[in-house]
Amino acid sequence: MDRRSFLQRLSFFGGGVVLLGGAACKRGPSSEPPAPANTQAAAANDASPRTFTRAEYAVVAAASERILPRDEDPGAKDADVPAYIDRMLQSPELEQMRQDFMQGVAALERRSQRMFQVGFAQATPAQQDELLGLFKDSPAGSGEAHFFELLMVLTLEGFLGDPSYGGNKERVGWKLVGFDTVGTVASAPPEGHDGMKCLKTCGRHP
Amino acid sequence: MTKEPVDVCIIGSGAGGAPMALELGRAGFKVVVLEKGAHYQPKDFIHDEILNSRRNFFMPLPWEEPHLVRQGAAGRYERTNSAWTANCVGGGTVHMSGYFYRLKPVDFRLRSTLGAVKGSTLADWPISYEELAPFYDVAEAELGVSGEAVPHPFAEPRKGPYPLPPLDVHPIARELDRVCGDMGWHSLPTARGIISRPYRGRAGCAYCALCGSYGCEMGAKSGTNANLIPAALATGNVELRPRCMARSVEVDKEGRARSVVYLDADGVEQEQPAKVVVVSCTAVESARLLLNSVSNRFPRGLANGSGLVGKNLIFSSFGESRATFRVSKQSAARPWLTDPAPFVNRSVQDFYLMPDERFGFRKGGTLGFMWTHPNPIFAAVGLAGSGKNGVFGKALKDRMREYRDSRILQFEVYGEFLPTPGTYVTVEPGVKDKYGLPVAGITMDRHPMDFAATRFLVERGEEILMRLDPDELKRVGIAGETTILQHGTCRFGNDPATSVLNKECRAHEVPNLYVVDGSFMPTAGSVPSTLTIVANSFRVARGLVQRMKRNEVRPSPSGRGPG
Repeated sequence: MDRRSFLQRLSFFGGGVVLLGGAACKRGPSSEPPAPANTQAAAANDASPRTFTRAEYAVVAAASERILPRDEDPGAKDADVPAYIDRMLQSPELEQMRQDFMQGVAALERRSQRMFQVGFAQATPAQQDELLGLFKDSPAGSGEAHFFELLMVLTLEGFLGDPSYGGNKERVGWKLVGFDTVGTVASAPPEGHDGMKCLKTCGRHP
Repeated sequence: MTKEPVDVCIIGSGAGGAPMALELGRAGFKVVVLEKGAHYQPKDFIHDEILNSRRNFFMPLPWEEPHLVRQGAAGRYERTNSAWTANCVGGGTVHMSGYFYRLKPVDFRLRSTLGAVKGSTLADWPISYEELAPFYDVAEAELGVSGEAVPHPFAEPRKGPYPLPPLDVHPIARELDRVCGDMGWHSLPTARGIISRPYRGRAGCAYCALCGSYGCEMGAKSGTNANLIPAALATGNVELRPRCMARSVEVDKEGRARSVVYLDADGVEQEQPAKVVVVSCTAVESARLLLNSVSNRFPRGLANGSGLVGKNLIFSSFGESRATFRVSKQSAARPWLTDPAPFVNRSVQDFYLMPDERFGFRKGGTLGFMWTHPNPIFAAVGLAGSGKNGVFGKALKDRMREYRDSRILQFEVYGEFLPTPGTYVTVEPGVKDKYGLPVAGITMDRHPMDFAATRFLVERGEEILMRLDPDELKRVGIAGETTILQHGTCRFGNDPATSVLNKECRAHEVPNLYVVDGSFMPTAGSVPSTLTIVANSFRVARGLVQRMKRNEVRPSPSGRGPG
């Protein structure tokens, strides 16, 4: 049995407490603690990305939109998934993931330049899909496969997580999977819930 | 610094620690409970999947506090958050689903029943079902359990009805009853640690969709945070210290437990002297604590002269299949399919023990039926798949739209997990957690008979699902283990050469040290073990209270020994 299936035995909870699964951290048992948070991240007004440069943000937006493209139903950009990813990767606990993700974004951009002579954000949807497919099908444990896994998980979190994290705008993700019909009354977080703030306060185990 | 001495220091506030705190507090003894996690209040239990299920609200992050897991002693360790339960006051009982089965008499006598099983270190319990049964009654009453006992071939004897009537169930339960009846099998109501009516000041279940993997803001789920811990604190004799991580149990010159050294909420080292120390941190973490508690007297770890601490680790064998009903296709025949009722609460135990070995095993287990969990991110990650089988783009969205049109019924197998010499816990000095303590390493070597049993049970469950005429049947797995159900690492028994604890769950080698989580169990039965751990802890607490009242527990010598 591989590690993934071992991790997923936690599904006994029914809710799949797998954190971010094996994707969250590639470091081996002997590696060093994560480096301090990125200081070059733009810290301007709320409209500016905080984790990414504008160019990187465009790559992330284009890539997440290919994971969940707009068709007859809203897509990743409609749900503000890129804003979610930008915001979530500011969490100090996810510093290693941020570094892994940034490397992946750079790799995606490099490969696009090499294969299509344009940046990923400027490539056609077919070219973007081809490139993402290559990353997805890379050998397990490779940087490419790891990045694809992070991109998938963060996109789905941003699409289907509580809207207070900045994604799932107008609950478009929940509508797509029918979650709003199951959980609207009893399951909705209380008025004023702020997921990001809660992660900082309740989620800590000092 | 050294704190004021107390009668008893309990490490852990979950299924094992909380009953001890309550009973000792009621008997008038001064108790301190150390809990590494936070003390969440009902208002903290928010239905936010990212917070609860995907970050460290309950479980530590694997890069801050990893467990190392490897397949076989030659395997490579992977850092995971497997085999952790909730780190908070109440422990795993906070985010459990609350399937509150009892063990059956055969589970106490499995070695005698099966004979020697090659490749397994199988052992009988030193107590019988009859000895534990009165404490199951106590546990069910104190926690609040909803259920209905019905006769069936493997029904365990019980004195009376459950404290609370069964929870309301979805109409699909009646179809399960019918198809099981057609096959001559028994569809049993599953007892739940969720109260169906107001009970002892707690509100009844509101039937929200999110239960297992979440805390219950109603207090209807029977976690120790909702019942035993508040009752223990109300005695005035119990002090709860959350966010306190035990580092070691220290001993005096005679080898008796003297104190617990821990890091407090500010990360400052403290020492709590106590006459009795009770360890209850889950089977993996309790073994880790004892193995990390080295001294001149116990150079291989506390109470580990036998070398058995951490050995005989057992989880619960797991298998799962899912039947999908397309709402659009089935709405005419089953207009009630979209009924939002969250519970199915049906179990099949007709294969708990087989009469012979014709299928490659004799000890089988339990099938528990339920709707799949509605967590949308979890569901979508599953729909996306991974690697070459993974999809994205329109294919993924199509699957998500199909999911919206589906109700998915699943069963889980709770199967025997035979102890083997190759499945155990060690501490790995080279890898430390954020507290600087060596982490637990888990080595797995499953017994082939477990897989034969799980496969058989999955096939029987699929027969049942197929008779419900689903649109799709998917096998999820037949060779897994549920690592939040942990047992065996300090097994109890009458012989100090083959067990760590005596039948009172007191260490053979340390007369004032108790271990009361699942560690004591030489076999774990073929049901989730939470209720059994609580019942046993009430049993152990009663014995300890009597012993302390008879003054058999000497006061700890004051001052610090050489350790």
